Amino acid sequence: MIAQQIINAVSLGGVYALLALGLAIVFSIVGLINFAHGELMTLSGYALLASLVLGFPFPVAVLVAVSCGALAAVAMERIAFRPMRGASVTSLLLTSFAVSSLLKVVFQNGISARPQAVAMPGWMTGAFSFGDFTIGVGPSISIVVSALALIALEVFLRRSVTGTAMRAAAEDFDVVRLMGIPASRIIATAFLLSGLLAGLAAMLWVAQRASVDPLMGFTPVLKAFIAAVVGGLGSLPGAVAGGFLLGVIEVLLQATLPGAIAPYRDAIVLSGVIAVLLVRPQGLIPAVRAQRS
Amino acid sequence: MLSVEALKIRYGEVEAVRRVDLTVDSGEIIALVGANGAGKSSTLGAVAGLVPVASGKVIFDGVDITGLTPEAIARKGVALVPEGRRIFASLTVADNLRLGGAVHQPVAEARLREEEMLELFPILRRYYRVKGGNLSGGEQQMLAIARALMGKPRMILLDEPSLGLAPQLIDTVFDLIAELRRKGLTILLVEQNVALALEIADRAVVLANGEVVLSGTAKELASSDLVRQAYLGA
Amino acid sequence: MPSLYRLHRAALCAAVFGIAAISTASAEEIIIGAATAQTGGLAPYDQPALAGLRMSLDELNAKGGLGGKYTVKLLIKDTRSDTAQTATVAQELIDAGAKIMITPCDADPSISAGQLTQPLGIPTLTLCGSAPVLTGAVGDVMFGTYPADNVQATAVADFAVSEGRKKVFLLTSPDSTYTANLPEYFGKVFEKKGGAVVGRGTFSMGQPDFSAEITNIKGLADKPDLIMTAAYEPDFPAFIQQLRGAGVTIPVYGADAIGTPTIKALGKLVDGVVYTAAGYAEPGSKLEAFNAAFTKYAGHAPESTYEVNGYEIGLILDQAVKTAGSDDPKAVRDAIAGLKDFEGITGKITYAGTDRMPLRPVALMRYEGGEGKHVQTLIPDAADVPAP
Ligand SMILES: Nc1ncnc2c1ncn2[C@@H]1O[C@H](COP(=O)(O)OP(=O)(O)OP(=O)(O)O)[C@@H](O)[C@H]1O
Ligand SMILES: [Mg+2]
Repeated sequence: MIAQQIINAVSLGGVYALLALGLAIVFSIVGLINFAHGELMTLSGYALLASLVLGFPFPVAVLVAVSCGALAAVAMERIAFRPMRGASVTSLLLTSFAVSSLLKVVFQNGISARPQAVAMPGWMTGAFSFGDFTIGVGPSISIVVSALALIALEVFLRRSVTGTAMRAAAEDFDVVRLMGIPASRIIATAFLLSGLLAGLAAMLWVAQRASVDPLMGFTPVLKAFIAAVVGGLGSLPGAVAGGFLLGVIEVLLQATLPGAIAPYRDAIVLSGVIAVLLVRPQGLIPAVRAQRS
Repeated sequence: MLSVEALKIRYGEVEAVRRVDLTVDSGEIIALVGANGAGKSSTLGAVAGLVPVASGKVIFDGVDITGLTPEAIARKGVALVPEGRRIFASLTVADNLRLGGAVHQPVAEARLREEEMLELFPILRRYYRVKGGNLSGGEQQMLAIARALMGKPRMILLDEPSLGLAPQLIDTVFDLIAELRRKGLTILLVEQNVALALEIADRAVVLANGEVVLSGTAKELASSDLVRQAYLGA
Repeated sequence: MPSLYRLHRAALCAAVFGIAAISTASAEEIIIGAATAQTGGLAPYDQPALAGLRMSLDELNAKGGLGGKYTVKLLIKDTRSDTAQTATVAQELIDAGAKIMITPCDADPSISAGQLTQPLGIPTLTLCGSAPVLTGAVGDVMFGTYPADNVQATAVADFAVSEGRKKVFLLTSPDSTYTANLPEYFGKVFEKKGGAVVGRGTFSMGQPDFSAEITNIKGLADKPDLIMTAAYEPDFPAFIQQLRGAGVTIPVYGADAIGTPTIKALGKLVDGVVYTAAGYAEPGSKLEAFNAAFTKYAGHAPESTYEVNGYEIGLILDQAVKTAGSDDPKAVRDAIAGLKDFEGITGKITYAGTDRMPLRPVALMRYEGGEGKHVQTLIPDAADVPAP
């Protein structure tokens, strides 16, 4: 039971970590909390559905869906955020809210207000058994995919020049430009990565929920935001830590809270978040940022 | 090589630089001196593309670079070592250097260049895998200069390289600057330490309240009454 | 039918659809106000029901109107799936002269509209709101039309007992009357008939993850042979996907809210899931004929039995006006409340002796291979139905 709940927590935390990372990457570079991140997920979800309906094999459909998320993120930056470059954090935030609402309306009117079923392949419902211990295929996939994505991102950020430049840009964007590295390349890459992460998270999310609806992205982006803030806004290791922490807390409360208190679960989680922020106002692993006069 | 013509810089309503004209010839060291807030850093920033120019022109190698992005200017061969060093604290020395040489040259060339830098700054070899933020102020200054040199600039803009360094280290930095000039680099040097700057520079420009108040050869200025009273404490 | 879909609504513009018939109300005209959701979470339920109602009113108008005498003018306004907005548009409809009010497929907005119509004595019918507390919360003008939650739950429980099921796990959500109470009604009947409730779990609507609940189910010492829930979209797909993904094969039963194209499209995942409907179109049945007529009328087949339920509301009103012999709201109300064994499309509908939630047949359906298969249709024994 306990081992099982740990797996559940890691599986959920992994998805939150991917989403929070996506938010954090963009925030660390352009100071934007992209609330339309959830709609990137929704879009990937619909792309998966469409690809499956068109008869693409499942792996191809997933590839198409994730790429759609990534490209949509880049397009979103070009169309909505680039004209706002250099604007205040507040105006950027409001722009992202506007983009998010607009996309929701487009999904509702263009597709349907009602959830659309996404039939997952049969092998996703099943379980491995080790003795009397069973672990579901669903959570296993979540854990493996999140782990691989986190490792791949880490390798990219450590090894590649662009990745290194992104870490540097999070600290001091101007100086990165002084090195001759184009700002637009860094920003586009940041959005591309965040879109990839949103697309991957969407796949895991849809695999667990078997449907997509226009408001699908709302809850996860909220959770990701909480995770990113708890971890230290703009800090990538912080986002991952925050994501896993949130997953653990949610599963723990879900598993142990008596039914009568269950409705207050979200309130309890948020109180926990506030407590963390009181003790560590900059989050668990604060972002490094150049101190400038 | 570089000429700044009637440069004006505004931050909102504040006119930080009213009018600056200066030229730097190839292979020269020009010192730009002046009191706090005179507009020295703003002028360097405008040359490097970080600070928007209100009016006037910046010409590099005969090309008008006014209003170009910092990355475009860097690619033309102008490197700025900003005030306060601004090394990437969370990145290792190796990564700081790597970014400095990231886009101007093929990877193999960047390797060679890095080897040169490590020869020039042995301390950086010692701390190669250490995070920039953990270096001492002097080491960070070395790193900042090395990082700027990684891109093989033809001209380097140094903003107060001696700031906050122990006297001994200041000497090291100035020796280095002299060495760089010997290698053919053109240098625009902003310094609070006017005596040292005049010692090393060919010519100097004095700024006050965003305007050039005096310019000439370093020798001339060192013996000028105004400079002696205001900056050399004599 | 279920309660409000989610804490958030789409930021859609207030699309107010008024069917514009410009003539003023004449003596032979009766205005029916429909405060229903065109947008938001309830729209997928209100819209089909409203389409059925429109069809019957169109047909009745062609034959002279309600009771053959009162031409119906249907005014429709969008509630945006919002309870406060429902009250606002209900008031507008009252001001426009509505003598009969139609309200959304959910208890909360229906109650908010009912609180305005009750003092005026305007008969008010919810399209497919099925919480049995709904009518009591408003008063004598409020009528349910769809089989009530406790009636549906009794039907499912009767069936589960007849299959030999002994132990049930109840999954509820406190977020709506429907999701909170229906499984508990089931539990009451199930226990009364010899079954046992071996565990209970809760979820929040829109909850991303059911793994902890599922692990609790797996860890129960007393293994259930059935899971009963009133979760619907998108929670139901999430729950069952994760349940099966965790290797749990215990059957899951629900009620009417999972009789939708979305759930059906889940295919193999929902094989064996039992749910309810207001009727089943057996070959040669009136319902089959209705489905054909509706397809012709609307250009698409009915999605569920919400269409026929809406159609039957028209028939009920017609009969009530006929019985009352006038369009006097009080007389019409009394006539509805007195209906007994009224022949609808799905079977006999009775209000007499109830607290205005009708006694009517419940069809039990089961998903098999991506299709909803009819299991049986029954009218539960009134004595078995638990009190609201
Ligand atoms: N980003 C800015 N926004 C507003 N005002 C600024 C900004 N940067 C500089 N200033 C103002 O412009 C003037 C010139 O500043 P600058 O940094 O160029 O001076 P400086 O000569 O480099 O001084 P110091 O010797 O202290 O470094 C100052 O009055 C300063 O307050
Ligand atoms: Mg300065």
